[in-house]
Amino acid sequence: MIIVAKIFEIILPPILAFIIGIFFIGLFRKIMARIHWRYGPPIIQPFLDLIKLFHQKGFSHGPLFDLGLILSLAGSMVLILFIPFGGMCALGNSGGLLVILYIMLFAPLGIALSGGEGANPNISIGISRKLIIALGYEVSFLLVLLTLMTYYKTISIVDIVNAQSNFHWALFSPLFLSGIAYLMILPAILGIRPFDVVGAPQEISSGPTAEYGGRFLALFHIWHAFSLFIGIALFVDLFLGGGSNPVTFFMKMVVVFVLVTFIHAVFPRLRTEQAVRYLWRWPTAISLLGLLLVQIIK
Amino acid sequence: MSLTQLVIISFAGAFLTYFSGKVSSKLRDVFAVIISLVLIAILSYFYGKTEELRYFSFLGLPLLLRINMLSWYFAITIAVVGALSIIFSLSYMKGKEKTDFYYLMMLLVNAGMLGIVLSGDLVSFYIFWEIMSWSAFLLISYNRGPALAAGMKYIVMSIIGSVAMLIGMLSLYTNYGTLCISEISPLIDSASSGYILFLLILFFVAFGIKNAVWPFHTWLPPAHSEAPSPFSAVLSGILVRMGMYGFLVFFYVVLGVKLFLGLGQGLYRFHYILAWIGAINIVIPTFIAMFQNDSKRLLAWHGVGQGGYMVLGVAMGTSLGVVGGTFHIINHTSYIALLFLVVGAIEYRTKGIRDLNSLGGLIKKMPITFIGALVGACGLIGVPLTNGFVSKWLIYKTLILKGYPFLAFAALIGTWGTILSLYKFLHNIFLGQLPEKYKDVEKVPFSMQFPIIILSSVIILFGIFPGIPLKVINSIVVSFGLQSLNINIWGISSETGALNTINILTAICIALGFVWLLFRIGEKKVSIAQDDNYAAGAYVPKGKYHHTVEFYNPLFRMIKPYFKDFVDEFYLLIVKVGRSLSDKVRKLYCGDLSYYIVYIVLFLAVLIIFKLGFNV
Repeated sequence: MIIVAKIFEIILPPILAFIIGIFFIGLFRKIMARIHWRYGPPIIQPFLDLIKLFHQKGFSHGPLFDLGLILSLAGSMVLILFIPFGGMCALGNSGGLLVILYIMLFAPLGIALSGGEGANPNISIGISRKLIIALGYEVSFLLVLLTLMTYYKTISIVDIVNAQSNFHWALFSPLFLSGIAYLMILPAILGIRPFDVVGAPQEISSGPTAEYGGRFLALFHIWHAFSLFIGIALFVDLFLGGGSNPVTFFMKMVVVFVLVTFIHAVFPRLRTEQAVRYLWRWPTAISLLGLLLVQIIK
Repeated sequence: MSLTQLVIISFAGAFLTYFSGKVSSKLRDVFAVIISLVLIAILSYFYGKTEELRYFSFLGLPLLLRINMLSWYFAITIAVVGALSIIFSLSYMKGKEKTDFYYLMMLLVNAGMLGIVLSGDLVSFYIFWEIMSWSAFLLISYNRGPALAAGMKYIVMSIIGSVAMLIGMLSLYTNYGTLCISEISPLIDSASSGYILFLLILFFVAFGIKNAVWPFHTWLPPAHSEAPSPFSAVLSGILVRMGMYGFLVFFYVVLGVKLFLGLGQGLYRFHYILAWIGAINIVIPTFIAMFQNDSKRLLAWHGVGQGGYMVLGVAMGTSLGVVGGTFHIINHTSYIALLFLVVGAIEYRTKGIRDLNSLGGLIKKMPITFIGALVGACGLIGVPLTNGFVSKWLIYKTLILKGYPFLAFAALIGTWGTILSLYKFLHNIFLGQLPEKYKDVEKVPFSMQFPIIILSSVIILFGIFPGIPLKVINSIVVSFGLQSLNINIWGISSETGALNTINILTAICIALGFVWLLFRIGEKKVSIAQDDNYAAGAYVPKGKYHHTVEFYNPLFRMIKPYFKDFVDEFYLLIVKVGRSLSDKVRKLYCGDLSYYIVYIVLFLAVLIIFKLGFNV
């Protein structure tokens, strides 16, 4: 019985993450359409697109082109197992937040290697932008995580979530500055406006995806769905106390996601250096203050 | 087999190799490889043994050789990296000038390093240290041209370090009358903290220069980039880390944990300041590395940057931190040596191209070399399931649990600098379009692939089974008087967050398999040529469609005003002032005899004035 539960705990999160991520993409398009005064595609359109893409021919530039993409998707799936998802966390005690930080590298590295083999300067520019933006938000992201780890004196994300049970949410504790900083960098983590320099269809023909077609594009879309899930799930776990069951967890995620969708709808795209300048200025300052605050009150 | 024989074999082997080169170059190659392999074999026999023996007396001072877990750990690394770089040199050095001399110096550097880690007193330590430094100097300037300047910079700084060490040794000898490491450490317990600080600063300069710790790092980038690549691997991999060995011996064997941690108060504790130096040492060099256009210089800056992690770990003084720092030493050795060998392989096939802006697309021509580069890069970044991850994880965990979030932040952000620069390294050399002129590049010969394969497998092996090296390191740490860690083959188990590589490995394997299946369904993929790509309707130019120049330009534009090596500029200013001063002094010696007579008369006049005026 325990084994069955364990297997369930391993298999369920990636499947749910996939469904939620795809649902978020659909929701995103719907909300954007309504803001634009359009009707918008049906909410399951992204799923239909995936089925379509699997039936189309894909063009490969070489073994690394395939492997990089597979690696990044696999990395995201493993990452989901490290993130508590409404009481489920299969790999909760295999290294904690430090391992999460490092497994988060798999996805961008895999996409970067795969895109590099694509031999298209648009991809290279997109990846160089992605890495620069990542360096930009990673400064405050790391500060936020370190603040949490210092405050709760653990590197285990499960312990952090448990410490916030019964509405002791980190967002309404001395950690609120870090929570605000995380919200400020969340659009950059998710790669949406005003930080969508990586895709930027009008400038660099969608950047890293320029050479993807058919199931390559399908896998990329799945990866994108996962990354939406991961970025928001981390926020919910770290600051909104996670969820005692998947349903409350999902409700919290939807709230956060709708919030960032509104941000996406309102703001225009920044240039890369403008984005990095912003990321290194306000979120970093706030998260630094948050860390100092925690150091002082401890 | 005794330690004396080991040292004699290593030195005699070097000279025998040189002379056999006079007979035939084949014989020399065979001899060099055999010597370096024999050293590995002998050292593996010494595993777990502790002994100390007196081999010579010099001015009444006993000269000792000793082996324990710490020396063995370094010695085996030296021997393995030495052997692999010798094997790599076989093809790399073919057809170059003065190869006999090159092999002599390579083996001599190895022998010198072995001598350092095996010596049980400071006199032999110093002698072997100088042998290593000078043979390294000759190898760095082997290529002439800019290499001479690089070698000069290295040897000047190295001599400053040696002088500092000599002063420290003399002071120790006058105070305690002995230079045996094992005899000094009980005596030094009663020393005043001022005297210990004096010693610490002297030895910090001595070992810090060799270890390229931040204010003393300026010699390293030119030296690494100008040296022949197989030697760069040894230089960056292990020779530089002799400084780390010095730190470990001095902080934990000579001084002992209590004295080392107890020095200073509050924020001005010596080990805390040392940790901050380590943190600076991580951040600045990794960010400089991002904007380098010379592949070896890029790696060289990482050689400086990764040293910071070791200093940070060792400075913490807890068993977790010291284990992390010490483990990081061999991890660094494995991947930086691998990456330098990869660059060497590229140089070998492209006729010495190191410029990152003129390469590209070599993955199709040199797949094994690419895999080596990828594994090495992953190790350097610290991707899970490579050894670099385990040691960095240990260091981060120490910093967080001890409550130093700012230090941990410096260490973590350094990782992102590493990712950016290493992606640039991989992308500009191996990915993208293959330029027309490299259409006929071939794979490197097996003697060059072999070290690359071995080092890659070591990185992955230690990443999946970190328990193997950690067991050795744990016993080193226990010998320092620190707490023993709870180590199993898959990592570390402890109450405050465990590390378990097997879970990560299984999860990744299953996920990879699943995604692979997902990838197999649907329409078949079609393989297309590299220049058959999407350019938004524009024409795709052949052979030069690769975005490499100023890869991180937006970022570079932002941080350009701060992007300078201030320390190097400061040293160069000192050099300039010194040179102009000595130029002025030189003008006195004009070569005209009548001027000299005037000087003598003036000097006598001054003496007479003194005598009459002050009546001394």
